Amino acid sequence: MHIDIKKEIKESGPGKAGLLILLVMIALALLAPVLARYNPFLQTADSLLPPSWEHWLGTNHVGQDIWSRLLFGARTSLLVGFGVGFLSTLLSTIFGISSALVGGLYDKVVMRIVDAFIVIPAVIIVILVAAYIRPSILVLIMLLALLSWQGGARVVRAQALSLKERGHVAAARSFGANHFYIAWRHIVPDLGPILLVDFIYGVRRAVFMEAGLAFLGITDPTMVSWGMMMRDALRFSYLNVWQWWLVPTGVALSLTIIGLTFLAYAAEPVIEPRLRGAEVA
Amino acid sequence: MPKLLEIRDLRVSYGQDVVLNGIDITLEAGETLAIVGESGTGKTTLGLSIMRLVEGTVRGDISFNGRDLLALSDREMQQIRWNQIAMVFQNADNVLNPVYTVLDQVAEPMVAHGLKKRNEARDRAAELLSHFGLPKNRFAAYPHQLSGGEQQRVLIAMSMANDPELLILDEPLSSLDAVTRSEITGLLKQTRSNRTMLVVTHDLDTVSKLSDRLAVLYGGKIMELGSTKEILANPRHPYTRALIRAYPNMTTVKDLQGIKGRMTRPVSGCPFHPRCTQVIDICPREIPELLPGHGRKIACHRGGIITLLSTRNLTKYFNSLKAVDSVDIHIEGGETLALVGQTGSGKTTLAKMIMGLHQPTEGSVYLEDTKIDNRGKDFYKRVQMVFQNPGESLSHRLSVLEAVMEPLEVQGVGTKEERIKKAIQVLGEVELPQTEDFLRKYPHHLSGGEMQRVAIARALMLDPALLIADEPTAFLDASIQAKILKLLLNMQEQRGLSMLYITHDIAAARKLSDRIAVMHNGRIIEEGLSNEIVAAPRQDYTKSLLKAASAMN
Amino acid sequence: MFSKRSIITYAIAFAFIITLNFLLPRMMPGDPLMAIYGNEALIAMTPQLKAELVERFALDKPLWQQFGAYLLALFRGELGYSYYYNAPVLTVILGRLPWTLLLVGTSLVLSTLLGIVLGIESGWRRGSRTDRIMLTGLMSLNGFPDFFLGMLLLIIFGVTLGILPLAGALTPYSGLSGPALVLDVLKHLVLPMTALTLAHLSSGYLLTRNTMITVLKEPYMLTARAKGLSPRILKYRHAGRNSMLPVVTRTGIWVGRVVTGALFVELVFAYPGVGYLTYEALLTRDYPVIQGVFLLVAISVLAANFIVDLSYPKLDPRVAYAY
Repeated sequence: MHIDIKKEIKESGPGKAGLLILLVMIALALLAPVLARYNPFLQTADSLLPPSWEHWLGTNHVGQDIWSRLLFGARTSLLVGFGVGFLSTLLSTIFGISSALVGGLYDKVVMRIVDAFIVIPAVIIVILVAAYIRPSILVLIMLLALLSWQGGARVVRAQALSLKERGHVAAARSFGANHFYIAWRHIVPDLGPILLVDFIYGVRRAVFMEAGLAFLGITDPTMVSWGMMMRDALRFSYLNVWQWWLVPTGVALSLTIIGLTFLAYAAEPVIEPRLRGAEVA
Repeated sequence: MPKLLEIRDLRVSYGQDVVLNGIDITLEAGETLAIVGESGTGKTTLGLSIMRLVEGTVRGDISFNGRDLLALSDREMQQIRWNQIAMVFQNADNVLNPVYTVLDQVAEPMVAHGLKKRNEARDRAAELLSHFGLPKNRFAAYPHQLSGGEQQRVLIAMSMANDPELLILDEPLSSLDAVTRSEITGLLKQTRSNRTMLVVTHDLDTVSKLSDRLAVLYGGKIMELGSTKEILANPRHPYTRALIRAYPNMTTVKDLQGIKGRMTRPVSGCPFHPRCTQVIDICPREIPELLPGHGRKIACHRGGIITLLSTRNLTKYFNSLKAVDSVDIHIEGGETLALVGQTGSGKTTLAKMIMGLHQPTEGSVYLEDTKIDNRGKDFYKRVQMVFQNPGESLSHRLSVLEAVMEPLEVQGVGTKEERIKKAIQVLGEVELPQTEDFLRKYPHHLSGGEMQRVAIARALMLDPALLIADEPTAFLDASIQAKILKLLLNMQEQRGLSMLYITHDIAAARKLSDRIAVMHNGRIIEEGLSNEIVAAPRQDYTKSLLKAASAMN
Repeated sequence: MFSKRSIITYAIAFAFIITLNFLLPRMMPGDPLMAIYGNEALIAMTPQLKAELVERFALDKPLWQQFGAYLLALFRGELGYSYYYNAPVLTVILGRLPWTLLLVGTSLVLSTLLGIVLGIESGWRRGSRTDRIMLTGLMSLNGFPDFFLGMLLLIIFGVTLGILPLAGALTPYSGLSGPALVLDVLKHLVLPMTALTLAHLSSGYLLTRNTMITVLKEPYMLTARAKGLSPRILKYRHAGRNSMLPVVTRTGIWVGRVVTGALFVELVFAYPGVGYLTYEALLTRDYPVIQGVFLLVAISVLAANFIVDLSYPKLDPRVAYAY
C-alpha cells in the first residue's frame, strides 16, 4: 500500500501544528548557546528575581537565569527523547523482524518477554535502578530504550509477518536470499511509515519519562532538565514566583509533548487507514 | 379501500449516483408485493428509504396511512419504526449486535417503545422465537453462536416483536438451505394473512411462493408491475423475460441464458436499452413511463415484448397437395420458436414462404405488424436463414471470406475494408479462426461443422432480428450438433435475436426454445410454452414424438 | 484488539521483578549489607544484628544460595526493616497504602468512565465542531504531565484562591469523625485526584472515539436504528457497549500508568501515600523501603492486569473460550 506519510502530515491541521512546534523546540535547543544570555549553571546572589530586561524570565532560587536554563533544558529533553526513540525503534525493528522471519521457539520466547515487559510500568524499574546508581544521561537513554522497545516490537512483528507472505519475498527466497537480505531489502522499506510513527511515540514517551524522573530527582544533576526545574519550583509555590518559573517550564514541556502527540496523530492513519478522512480540521 | 403505502416519484441518489429514478408503487393493506431485480438495482435502497434509513438524498412522496413519511421529524419517525413499519434485514455478519443475547435483542424494541415491561417482553420474545422454530436452548445464545438459518429466524421473529402493520423483508431466505427455506416460507405465509409485506429479493422462487403482486426493478425504475402469477407465467417486458430465463428452477427446460451485457450506470433514456433485444430510436433518448398494457403495467416504449413475425392463415398448395394448411404462428422479439415435425410435415415449406422463396397460395406474413407483400433489401436485413446443408448453401467457388461478405456486397453496405473487418469480427463470434489462411480456404477444405458455422456467420452479417434455422444440424455429426446448438444460443443472447428453429428432434427443440409449435401434415396441431408442451402434451402425435425422443436419451 | 496474555507472561514478569530486586543491591560494589540496608541503617545496627542478617540472607554464601534465602524470606512476607521509620517495611507500606488506593482507585475509575463517555459522544458526532474541539482539547491535555497539572491546580486552587488544602490527606490534629471526616478527606483528595484523572483522560477518550467510529459503520447499528431506538440508546447500549471493549483490554496496562502517575502527584501534594513514601525513601536512601515498594507496586500492577484479563470474556461474548 502506497501511503505518503509526508502528505498525511501536511494535510492535517494538528499535524502541521505539531511539526511546527517540534521544529521550534529543536531550533531553540540547537541554538541554546547562542540564545542563552547566561551560563545556565552560574549561581548568583540575585535569586528569585522577576522578569526584567536582564533576565527575561527572571531567576530561580540560586540566582540562575531561568530563560537560559529553559533553553538548555530543551536540549536535555530532546536529546534523551530522540536518543531513546531511535534506540527503542531500532530494537523494535530488530526483534520484531527477527521474530517474524525466524519464527519457532525464538519467536515464542521473544514474544513472551515482550508481553511481560509491556505489563510492567517502566518508571518503577527506573526508579529502582536509579536508587542505586545515579544514571548518567547515556545510561538513562539506554535504560529507557531497553524498557520501551517492546510495544513497537509487537507492531513490527505483525507487519513483518504479513509482509513475509508477499510475492516479492518468496521470489527473493527463491534466489537464495538469507534472512538479513530479506529483512533489509524487502521488509524494512515497507515498514517505513510504521517505524516513523513508532519513533514519534517513542520520543514522546521518553520526554515524558525523563521529565518525570528528573522531577523525582534521580537523574543526572549536571544536566539542566525541565523536570528538575519544576521540582525546584515546587518548593516555592507559595511565593508569587511560579508565574515565570514553573509555568513557562511546564508549558515548554507540555508543548513539546503536545507537538509530538499531534504529529503522531496525523501520521497514525498510515497504520490504520480506516481513520482517515473527516478528522480534525 | 385506503392504501397502506403510496410511493410517488421516489428518487434516491448518493451524490452523483442515482439509485432510484422515479418509483411509483402502491400497497394495499393485507397484500404482499415483491420487488424483484438483480443485485445493485436499488431494491434494498427502496426498502431502506421507506424506513428513512437511507444516507443519500431522498425526494418524492412516501405516504403511509396517509402520513407523509419524508416530512416527519426524527422523533416521529422513531415512533413509526418497528411499531408500524419493521424490517427483516438481509442476513450478514454482524446484523445482530454481538454482545447481547438473541432473546434480549428480540425483546428490546418492545421495552424501548414502552409496549411491555421487561419480563413480559422477554416472554413474548420467547414465544416469537419458538414460533419461528428456534430451539429453546438457543434463546440465551449470542449471534455468533448461531447458524445462518437460526440467525435468520431470529431476524424474522425480531421484526414481528411490535406487531407492525407493514413488514419489509430484504432477501429473507437467501442464507438458508432448501429445507429450512420451505419451512420459513410456510411460516411467513401464515403471517401474511394479517400483515402487509414488501419482499425485496432476486429469488424468483420466493417471489412465486410469497407474493400477490410483483414489481420488476431495473436501473432505478420499475419495468413491469402486476400480478405475480401472470407475470411469471407470461412476462411481457424483455428484462422480466430475461430474468426468468436466467433463473434456475424445476420447470426450466431451455438452457440457462444470461442477459446480454452488464448493468451500467448512468444510462440515458430507458435504463434497459443497452441490453434490450428490441431497441428503437427513442429508447436511448427518453425514459419510458409505467403504463397499463397486457393486463399489468409496463415501462417500455414498444409496449412490452413485440411480436416480430407472424403469419396468418398461411397456406400453400403444390398442385393438389396441401403442403401448408392455414398456419398461424407468431414469433416474439428475442424468443426462439421451435417448429417440430417429421419430414414432409411442411416445415421447410413454411420457412421458405416466410423468406419469400415460395409464394403462399393464401394468407400473409407480417413483420412487426406490417404485412409483407414484396420483400426488398430491408426485409432481408431483418430476416435471415441458415439452411440444412451447408455443403450446398455455400458456393464452392467462394472462399470463406468471400462467402461471408456476400450479403454485404449484395446490399451495398460499407466499403471493402469495412466489409472485411466485419466479416472477420463475425467469424470470431462464431468461434472460427480469423487468420488469413482460414479466410482463403474453400468449403471443401472445411469440416461439416466449420461449414455450418460459416453459413451462420454469413447469416449474421446483416445483423438480422430474426434467424430462421432449418434443421441446421441435419448434416452434422452428433458431437458437432451440440456445439452448433450452443452457438445458436450464444448468438441469441449476445445479439438479442429471435429464432425460428426448425427440427424433427423435439429433444433439441426443448433445449433451445421458449415455445414449441408441433406441425403435422401441414397443420399446427399443438403450440405452447416449451416446458408445458414437454411436461403435459395434449395431442397424441406430440406424445408419440416425445416418446420417440426419450427412447433415444 | 484483544490479545491473550497467558499465565506464562505473568510468570515471566513476576520472575523478572523478583530477580531484579534481588540482583541490583548485590551487584553494587562494596559491602552487600550496606547495599541492602543503606548507610544510615548500618550505623544504627548492632554487630549482632548485622551478623544475624548476614546469616539470614546468606550474604557470605554463593549467589544462588542467597537467592534461595531471599525467596524464602519473601514468601514469609518479610520485606525487611526500615531503620528510618523504625518499623518493618511491610508495616510502613501498608500504613500508606490506603491513601494511594483511594487516589489511584478514584482516578482510574473516573478517568476511564469519563473518557469512555466523552469518547462515545465525540465519536457519535465525528467531524462536527464539538468533536473537533473535544479532540483538540483532549489531545492537548494529553501533553501535560501529571505533576505539572497537579502543580497548576495546587497554585490556582490552593495558593491563589485558597479554597482547597495545600497538602496531606487530612487536616492534621483535627480530631474529626463521621461526615466531617469524610468531607475533610474529600477536600484533600479533590486536587490530586483531578490532576491524575485529567492526565489520563485522553487515553480512554481517544481509544473509545476511534473504536466508536468503526463500530458506527457496523450493520447492527443500522438494525438498531431501524428499531426506532432513541439516540441515547443507540449511543450507549449499542455502539458504546461495543466501543468500550478495547478500553477494558487496555485498562490493565493503564493501571501501571496511573500508579506511576500517582507517584508524582502525591509528591506535588505531599499526599501521604506509597508514592510520597518512595520519594522520601529515595531522599534518605532507605533501600529496604524502596525495594519493598517496588516489589509491591509491580506485583499489584501485574495482579490488576491479570484480573482485567480474566474479566474481559464476560464483556465480549465472542471470546468466551479464551481461558
